[in-house]
This record gives sequence, structure tokens and C-alpha cells, in this order.
Amino acid sequence: MKEKTQVADIDRAFYDFRYEEDESSFLGCGITPDIIREISQEKGDPEWMTEFRLHALKVYERLEMPAWGPDISGLDMDRIVAYIRPEKRMQNDWESVPDDIKETFEKLGIPQAERESLAGVGAQYDSELVYHNVRKEVAESGVVYTDLESAMHDERYAEMIRSHFMKLVPPTDHKFAALHGAVWSGGSFVYVPDGVRLEIPLQSYFRLNARGAGQFEHTLIIVGENAYLHFIEGCSAPKYYEASLHAGCVELFVGNNSTLRYSTIENWSKNMYNLNTKRATVGENAKVEWVSGSFGSHVSYLYPMSILNGRGARAEFTGITFAGEGQNLDTGAKIVHNAPDTSSYMNTRSISKSGGISTFRSSVVINENAVGSKSSVSCESLMLDSISRSDTIPAMVVKTDKADVGHEARIGRISDEAVFYLMSRGLDENSAKALIVSGFAENVSKELPLEYAAEMNNLINIEMKGSIG
Amino acid sequence: MTKTRLNILPTPTFGHLGVNYTEREVGFAGKENISVPEGADRQIIQFVDSDDDTCVAVGKNARLQLVRVCASEQGCVSKVNAALDEDAELGLIQLYLGGNNVSEIIAELNGSRSFFRADIGYDLGKDCTLDLNLAADHNGRKSISEINAGGVLRENAQKIFKGTIDFRTGSSGAKGSEKEDVILMDGAVVNKTVPVILCAEEDVEGSHGASIGRIDEGQVFYMKSRGIPEEKIYEMITRSKLARIIRKIGDEKTEQRIYNILGWGDEVE
Repeated sequence: MKEKTQVADIDRAFYDFRYEEDESSFLGCGITPDIIREISQEKGDPEWMTEFRLHALKVYERLEMPAWGPDISGLDMDRIVAYIRPEKRMQNDWESVPDDIKETFEKLGIPQAERESLAGVGAQYDSELVYHNVRKEVAESGVVYTDLESAMHDERYAEMIRSHFMKLVPPTDHKFAALHGAVWSGGSFVYVPDGVRLEIPLQSYFRLNARGAGQFEHTLIIVGENAYLHFIEGCSAPKYYEASLHAGCVELFVGNNSTLRYSTIENWSKNMYNLNTKRATVGENAKVEWVSGSFGSHVSYLYPMSILNGRGARAEFTGITFAGEGQNLDTGAKIVHNAPDTSSYMNTRSISKSGGISTFRSSVVINENAVGSKSSVSCESLMLDSISRSDTIPAMVVKTDKADVGHEARIGRISDEAVFYLMSRGLDENSAKALIVSGFAENVSKELPLEYAAEMNNLINIEMKGSIG
Repeated sequence: MTKTRLNILPTPTFGHLGVNYTEREVGFAGKENISVPEGADRQIIQFVDSDDDTCVAVGKNARLQLVRVCASEQGCVSKVNAALDEDAELGLIQLYLGGNNVSEIIAELNGSRSFFRADIGYDLGKDCTLDLNLAADHNGRKSISEINAGGVLRENAQKIFKGTIDFRTGSSGAKGSEKEDVILMDGAVVNKTVPVILCAEEDVEGSHGASIGRIDEGQVFYMKSRGIPEEKIYEMITRSKLARIIRKIGDEKTEQRIYNILGWGDEVE
């Protein structure tokens, strides 16, 4: 009798702890003009932001749900709590953070990572940042890393925020971008001045603890010319039976000759609808690098978009998706070539098991003016059983004859020949299969920073047994 | 006449790309049925110049080569729905040589070891358009599909190629491959390519590849170094794309008729 290779589901017990919250700190359920005004008042928004929120709400009410992608009918917007008042305002001294929150982030290893390998850390708990800190020498170089609300109220950055906020992802982009515009709260603002190369990463960690709530953080990063930044984003939540919603927004502005690397390990719990929007505009000879690991959530729609607006601009997207039981993860990337001599490279891996559904979805658009541009897309999928599903839906649109676009994709199971070859070299069968699966994910994990690569290895716990399946 | 929604992508994607479906007025006169009985071996050649809806059934151990040439100036809407039985084989050669065409080809590989091969070629210039939706649905065990599409876009031509390999539950041991190779000759052309693989079965192998753009500069350089003028090189390379497919027809009269439509004279160089 054949015995199939067993690959374990991702063990989320590590992330699955929670603290009871005082529900009097929750604003009411649903998305209404009164709720929006209340959020705006709680946060002390400037007038333009209040108007922006109310305008976004009107757009939200007008727009339809997406007509493609995974089913999100289980998401009842009337039951989602859009905002939770913080127990205490943001701190930049770790000891002043409330004990339960401090304990949460300590369990997740955030303070340790800050001490060992980060230039700055932001930690968001439910709707608001609870801690933000940046190393002294980094601040002295002119780098700004703070929460978006503080920056908006600081006269040095207020105009910068106003002129960039939701300009790359306007509320009219789609229904959940409009929702974000109406209820956003928390998130980070980063500004890297011209000529500053920040070799150590900054990291923001988003934790949604409350039951039936939404998290709508906004990350705005502006990198000047000839600069470098590596930004890491992590997210997790404990599991509840009620649906939770994450509709964050990331806007990245990469100046001429600069590089921005944006790494994400997403590990939301399996009751989460992750409808996040990420977008970058890239200047002349500049580069954006996305490194993305999608492991959690019940449903994900996630396609970081790069708009190559400057001559010679480049984009790279490296991603891995692991869909287990009860998960429908629709991930990929979008790239728009909007200037001459631009180039892009997409390299993804996806694994489906135990009834999980993973979909790779991408678009590469080469506009008329993008003469001399090149794009290459490569995606591979691994099916670990026959109750799972794996789909690949790439699209390429080319509007000039002076471009080169290549695409390749592959889908299949663990190859018997590869197992046989490794066994002929002295490995036992279980080790051979483990090696093949870890090798399948390796070209993504090697792009992750060391601490995240270790986290990914922790996430994918591979158990092998039996003979060739 | 009201517009009908056609060429619906089996799994829709980003709406702004304009590839999920097309709408067009259609005037199907009726359904044409082609049935190849068990064990038979047939070749059918059709020059399609008006809206056409064809159903094909290829029986057990039967073999059909279906050649369809769409060369009318105005173009048309054409549909082929094929069902393949056990060990059945369908080879489809479909050429688009002008006009505004909407074309849908669905091959249901129902029988074990059924085999579907599609060779799609196009040479589109002026304001010609082609919206092609091709799906190979694998239901049978060890069924095989091979889809090869390729051609040339010139002047203001616009083309959408949507190719889907769908491995359904029960199609274990199936294999599917899909490839498109497009040469773009002018700055005003628009090419859209959507190669889809849908997979609900573990023990399958699927792959797709696409190459879109200019003629390889190394190839042009090599031929120039052999004394061939540049204009002639482009003509030779683009002709070779279609000629490779036309030669597979294996019927001299039909091949000659196609060369005449293309204005290639009476022989293939």
C-alpha cells in the first residue's frame, strides 16, 4: 500500500495567545458616518483628514465587492469593530508599555530583535501604535521613523503626509481601499533623506488581539535620492471564531537611484480576511524589492504593485505562499512599466495541502512609453495532496514592440525521480523528501533577513514518513 | 442584434486588464456536429468565414485532425467544443489571417489517455483583432494536452490569447503544457497573454511559458553576417512562425490556398 508524504500544517500555537480586552474601549460595530466622525475625533484628525475619511466612506458605499478572487461572503462588515481606543498613548520607552501588551510583544520576540538587529521598531496593538523607537544614531542621520498620526501633527512633516497620503492608492482604487481611507488608524511613517543609506532594517509589527475587530494601519515610506532602506513588516493574531479583517495600506515612494527592500511575513490567524493593498512608485534607476511570505489568514487578496515611473527603474518580487486547511490564499504581484528601459523580475513558490487553496495571480503591463523594457515571471507550485487546489493566473499586457517579456510556470507534485536520485546518493526516503520541499522554498527564504528566515523555518514544520507516495 | 458575452475566462482576474470576457453580436446559423466513430482516422479542413458553432466528438481510439482557417476580411465568431473519449486524439490547427475574430476552443479530455494538441497561428496587421480563449479540461486519467500558439502582430493589430489547462479531480497522471511565442513588429500593436493553470489533482504535471517581444537580436545579427538583408530577415523569421504550422496540415492544396491568402506565392521557401 502506498503511503503519502506527510507535510505538517503550519503550527500557529506560538502566535495563538490572547488577552481579554475591555470592550468599552471598542467603538460600535459597522461602518457609518457617525463611526467615522467618532474615529476622527478620537484621533484628533486635522480637518482635511476628517473630510478625506468621509469622502472615502462615500466611495466605499458606492463601490461593489470584487468580482474575482476568493469568496469573502463570510465577512459581515456590520459586525466588524473598526476602532479600539488604546489603553495608553504611544510610548518610546518599553517599560512604560502596559504589561499585557508588553508581554505579547516579548513572546513574539520583538524587543529582542530590536536589541540585536534592528535600527528601529514600531509595534501596533489593535488600532494604535503602542511603542515606537529608533536608534539615536539613525535619528541623527535625519531618518524619520514614527507613527503616522504623530507625523501628521508635526509641522515638519504635515505637508509631506498630506501630499502623499493615499495618492498612490486612492480610495477609488477598490472597495477595501475606500474602507481603509475611511477608518485607517495606526501604521508607520518613514522618511529617508537624500544620500542616507540605512544598512540595518526598521521593523513594524502589527498585532490584532481583539475579537471581531479590524486593523487598518497605514504605512507611508518616502525614500529620497541615492538612499537605501530595508523595512520589515510582521503581523499575527490569535484565533477566534468570528471573522476579523485586515485592510491595511502601504504606500512607498522610492526616489531616483535609491533602493527600498520591503519584507513581510504574514501570519494572521485562520479567521482573518486579509485584504491588504501595497503599492510603490519607483524613480529613475531606482529599485523596489518585495520579499513576501504568506502563511496565515483564512482568505488573502495580496498583490504588491510596483509602478516603474523613472527611466531604468527596477522591481523584484520574491514570494512564498503556504495554504493549509481552511485557507484560500490569493497572492501575487502587479508591475506597471511606465518609462523606458525599466525591468522587472517575479519569482514565486506556492504550496497547497490539507484542502488549502493557493492562487498565484499577477499582471505585468508594459505601456507604450516603456520602450526597451524587460520583464520575467517565474512561478512554481507544489500540490501535496488531491484535496487541495493550486491555480496560476498570470496576465501580460504589452503595448510596444520594443520590449521583451518572458514567463514560465510549473505545477506538480514531489518528483519520484528526484527522490530516487537522492536515495541513490545515500539519503533515506524521508530525508530526501524533506530536502526537496525545503529546497523548493529555499530561493525565497534565502532572500529573507536571517531572523525571518529562522521564523519561516519555524513556521514550516515538515514531517516525513512512509515510502514513496 | 444584442451583444453576447463570449470567451469568458474560466477564473476571472483583475478587471482593469480587460481579459475576463468579450462582448460581441453573434449570428450563429446553427450548430455543426462532427462525430468521429470508434477507431476511425479523419482529417477535416474548414475555411471559416462566418459565425460558426461546431461540436466535435472523437470516439474511443479515434483520431481527428481538424484544420480551421479564419481568413475573411471582416472576421467572425467561431466556437469549437470538442469531447474526447478513451485513447482519442484531436489535433487542431487553427489559423487567423485577418479580420476581427473572436474564437473559443474548449477541449474536454474525458477519456483516459486522451490526447489534445493545438497549433494556433496568426499573422495580423492593419486594425485586425483576435480574442482567443482556449481551454483544455482534463477529466480523464493520463490525458495529455499540448497547446502551442504563436504569430506576428503588425501595424495596429490587437490580440488576446487566453489559454487554460484545467486539471480536474480524477485526472491523475495527466500532463498539460502550453506555450505562446509572439513577435511584435510595430509600436502600435497591443498583445495580451493570459496562460492559466487550474489544478485540483496532485499527481499531474503542468507547465506554461510565454515569450513576447522583438525578434532576437542575436538571430538577426547572425543572418546579417551571412549576407541576408535586414528586411528579408524579418520577413523570413515571421514567415517561418506560420510556415511551421501550415506544413503540419499535410494537404498540398490547402497549404497552397493558405500561401495564396498570405501572398507568399506558390511555394514555401
